[in-house]
Amino acid sequence: MNSLVSYEWLTHYVKLRGTPEEFAKRMSLSGPAVERLLPADAELAKIVVGRIKDIKKHPNADKLRIVMTDVGAKKPAHIVCGGTNLAEGQFVAVALIGAKVRWHGKGDLVALEPAEIRGEKSEGMICAADEIGLGGAFQNAEREILDLGKELGWGVGAHGDAPRRKGGLPSAPTPGAPLADILGLAGDVIMDIEVTSNRVDAMGMVGLAREAATILDRPFVWKEPKDVKAKGKEKVAVKVATKKLCPRYLAVRIDGVTVGSSPWWMKRRLLAAGIRPINVIVDITNYVMLEQAQPMHAFDAATVEKGIEVRLARTGEKMRALDGKDYRLDDTMLVIADASKPIAIAGVMGGERTGVMANTTSIVFEAATFDPVSVRRTSRKLGLQSDSQIRFEKGLSTEAPPSALARAVELTLDLAGGKVAGPVTDVKAAPYRPKRFTITTDEVNCLIGVVLPQKEMVRILRSLGFAVGTKGKHITATVPWWRDHDIEMGQDLVEEIARVYGYGNIPAIVPFGLAPRPMDAELVWEDRLREVAKGAGFTETYSYSFVSKDLLEKAGYDAGGMLHVQNPLTADLEIMRTTLLPSLLQIASENIEREYALRLFEVANVYYPSSVGAYGDTPRRKGGLPSAPTKWTKLPDERLEVGALLVGGEGVWKEAKGFVEHVLGEMGMRDVSWRRMSTDAFWHPGRTVQAFVEGDLVATVGEVSPKIAERFKLDGRVALVDIPFASAVRHAISSRRYVQVSPFPSAKRDLAIVVDARTEFDDIARAISRVGAIHELPLQVEVEWFDTYREKNLPAGKKSLAMHIECSAPDRTLESKDVDALMEKAVLALKEAFKAEVRA
Amino acid sequence: MLDQLNALKLEIEEAVAATKTVGELDDIEIKYLGRKGRLTSILKGLAEIDEATRPKVGAAANRIKQEAERIIAKGRVALQERSLSDLGEREREDVTEPGLRPPEGHLHLVTQAIREITAIFDRIGFTRTRYPEVDWDRYAFESLNMPADHPARDEWETFFMDAPTSKTNGRMVLTPHTSNAQVRELERGEFPVRMINIAKCYRRQSDATHVPMFHQFEGLYVDRGVSITHLRGVLDYFATSFFGPGRKTRLRPFHFRFTEPSFEIDVSCGVCGGTGLGADKQKCRVCKRGWLELGGAGMVHPNVLKAGNVDSKKYSGFAFGWGVERTYMMKEGMQIDDIRILYKNDVRFLKQF
Repeated sequence: MNSLVSYEWLTHYVKLRGTPEEFAKRMSLSGPAVERLLPADAELAKIVVGRIKDIKKHPNADKLRIVMTDVGAKKPAHIVCGGTNLAEGQFVAVALIGAKVRWHGKGDLVALEPAEIRGEKSEGMICAADEIGLGGAFQNAEREILDLGKELGWGVGAHGDAPRRKGGLPSAPTPGAPLADILGLAGDVIMDIEVTSNRVDAMGMVGLAREAATILDRPFVWKEPKDVKAKGKEKVAVKVATKKLCPRYLAVRIDGVTVGSSPWWMKRRLLAAGIRPINVIVDITNYVMLEQAQPMHAFDAATVEKGIEVRLARTGEKMRALDGKDYRLDDTMLVIADASKPIAIAGVMGGERTGVMANTTSIVFEAATFDPVSVRRTSRKLGLQSDSQIRFEKGLSTEAPPSALARAVELTLDLAGGKVAGPVTDVKAAPYRPKRFTITTDEVNCLIGVVLPQKEMVRILRSLGFAVGTKGKHITATVPWWRDHDIEMGQDLVEEIARVYGYGNIPAIVPFGLAPRPMDAELVWEDRLREVAKGAGFTETYSYSFVSKDLLEKAGYDAGGMLHVQNPLTADLEIMRTTLLPSLLQIASENIEREYALRLFEVANVYYPSSVGAYGDTPRRKGGLPSAPTKWTKLPDERLEVGALLVGGEGVWKEAKGFVEHVLGEMGMRDVSWRRMSTDAFWHPGRTVQAFVEGDLVATVGEVSPKIAERFKLDGRVALVDIPFASAVRHAISSRRYVQVSPFPSAKRDLAIVVDARTEFDDIARAISRVGAIHELPLQVEVEWFDTYREKNLPAGKKSLAMHIECSAPDRTLESKDVDALMEKAVLALKEAFKAEVRA
Repeated sequence: MLDQLNALKLEIEEAVAATKTVGELDDIEIKYLGRKGRLTSILKGLAEIDEATRPKVGAAANRIKQEAERIIAKGRVALQERSLSDLGEREREDVTEPGLRPPEGHLHLVTQAIREITAIFDRIGFTRTRYPEVDWDRYAFESLNMPADHPARDEWETFFMDAPTSKTNGRMVLTPHTSNAQVRELERGEFPVRMINIAKCYRRQSDATHVPMFHQFEGLYVDRGVSITHLRGVLDYFATSFFGPGRKTRLRPFHFRFTEPSFEIDVSCGVCGGTGLGADKQKCRVCKRGWLELGGAGMVHPNVLKAGNVDSKKYSGFAFGWGVERTYMMKEGMQIDDIRILYKNDVRFLKQF
């Protein structure tokens, strides 16, 4: 919550020394943060008071005048103006050359330059209020200019009828005086202060001044208003039906008020806080709220039928609020009602029917405490915010209303006249019991980490308004009512002491220590995997964990069994994904125009129902979910998954597989078995394979079905990789074992065979290795694929496979005849098993 | 015969002198010294010479053969030298053409930030952990001293899951902060707690400075006698490690339900050196009066300790939780106008890092 505070106004509550800059710096370190300082007269540079000497017709324009205006110079300024309310002798706001104005109150500020308007020079501009940022303070009709004399009550107004009001500025100024001086804005600074949600008291001038007095060690000079003295005996009848939601309600009537506009000093303070003046009574309620952080309301007593009742609204009841809009209420909303209808939404906004208008002569002031949750919920439900609601929903003390009411009465009698009709009605749920907490000096010092004397602790607490007693090391503090919502326990007192002592005075000590446990293996491998993927030329993506139903369906997944977000921001961010692959396809589809040979990867959690078993037990189709809708009574099973995507030509699946082999190799996995997967409509039935270690799935890799690639408008071939990472980590080996390198050279041979096109290389390689193993003197045989041909000169349905065969023995140098014998046997075995023919 | 040999020697000498390439030299060698070479055939003819003159002629022939070999070898060396001397010209390449690079991948900015942060805290003994991103209200709010109706909850624009409300744990939510890890970590009952939890977080907002999914890092240190001094120590250490030497932090009062006292942490501006003034003596464009807001921190609230079954009379601690993206953006040179670009996955952006 930010509040705008006039520095000058604050000095009426606390005697300040130094500049607003210094104030801002020190307050921010111990209390509410002063975020910005703005000179109050920022928009009034080179704008002066002028007095109209003479008005002449413009020779070339009907609607323009030439206005000779005294701006304190030797000669009057020659100004072209179209104002409809110009009058000789009038005091006006003149923007001189170089001033910044907002033409007709719209658009950006523009610096005035000497101009010629329809052939007549103009040496400045006579301004309307909204052209110089005073639209909130003074209202003038369309095409009228700001008549300062009339508004501020000096001299002769345009219509000669301006009354001299109490609180108006004493005498007419000299032409040429800076307008900022005249308005009392020169030298003042508006502070933009961030008040934390627990310190609603500091949103008021009094609370802020109390903070400042303690932090800066300056005198706090606020005087409580005197209790209301009633002339008559007529009490306002108040019935509170739900005391839980309205623990306190005060009301008083004042008769015979004159509802004019407020004096400038009050307007100025309201404006500084960003509140638009309305009329003196409404302004007083706002003024008191700004001063004491206790919202108030005023009703036109004549429009309130009989007494006031605080009750829940009846479903279907409607009220037109002061913002001119109709609100339909329900039975969870607290209202203030008269005999017939709601007249205010409690703590949120008053009703239009009972609002105080210019012709109002009798008013009822309300100062009450409402339940913060109720106010908040009502405001949210109605979509209606107000300055009042912002304060109530933070929680206010039941001890606040009397002082606010007394202040409002005092101001009213002073500024609007009238007399108090009767004693204040005060309906209370329960007598007030202040909170009290005890802490020890050791507890305080231990948590802060310094040694402060008890005396200092007591001084700080007292200065903030706590009543403090000590007994040995114990400090017992009674919480002042204006802090009864934020001080909830002893430790809260430590904060008060520490912040006023100054956080900057507390030394910094690094608590070096040993990590209590090593980092989880999954986190370690995750980091390594990223490095491996980067090294292999992949670019990392980060996509949202929630995806749209459309995306899942496009990729052929059924979103039905997946965890849904109940209040998604948009339908694009609705379903917690169980796979990264649709997101990768989407990213590819968005980038394919920019780069054809995409290589992308992502590592992220996916969210499964906890009922599904461990990793790798099912292929992850349709999200791998049971078809019946899952009741999400348990947290989802969050599994880390690695997804990768490659776009390229026919052979791109092979690059993807190579990447997986590389990753599994880097993770130390040796005995990986590969099984073709052809049963899944998402994947290409002829180009997809799964890797298993000890029966656990560690990767699925292959080409995505061309049908799905097409849906994502991806031309060419798209390969995908899906690694259930926990499963892969389970089989990862970080420390590798040394295998002795044979000191004897190995023998290499090449072999090319023609086999049936469906014969798989893996089977051939295994057959050859087996031959080595059963050789009379067993040989280590490595078979390395190097080419496959499917040439025209081969018979239909055949392919040629070429491979390197490397033989070695751990204990001897192989002789040529050994290898020849092996090759012979191998060829024989291949002939037998695969009808393989050796190619010349 | 001797004349013949001498003539041949001269011929070889001339031929070698005239060669320009190693190839020509090879040809000469074959022509004279090869199996069917002219010198070789003369030497073969020695057998037919009478025995008396044969030794003399034989010796001369051998000498000439050796000389011829020497001439050719010398010529070879000369040729090589000559060829090296103009190698740069003959084999000149345009070296400004790009090299053939190995495949180059890229790690996402968030990954890089997480790595840096993890490493910094690892050095002072904080272990990175991982806790659920979809969690119960109990861990996300309730145990953090934010009861059901508390307005503080409004500050978190929370995503709720379409799942039944649990009697004991409340509603299922997408974690709006990493603080759900606090009570989960405390519940392990192992002390000291020195945790850095980095995870995805979710809030219902999306604009130039907010994304619905982002990352936070949450520090938690709970032990006997932990005080504000330790928090200050860790913050200063982080500021100098992450932002660079000379950077300082300061604490300002703030309010969070789950810490008491609570702080807003500022780090001194690296651009203006904490003066708040730019090079032109005008206001620094990067910071507020010399400081940048880093995020929130505080001493763990006794109610949070209690929720984690920790005796707040014996143990105390501090916690902080900041946005990974935001913190990384605060590094110099990282002026990204719209944070949403981090999750747009435009390769032209991703490949910059």
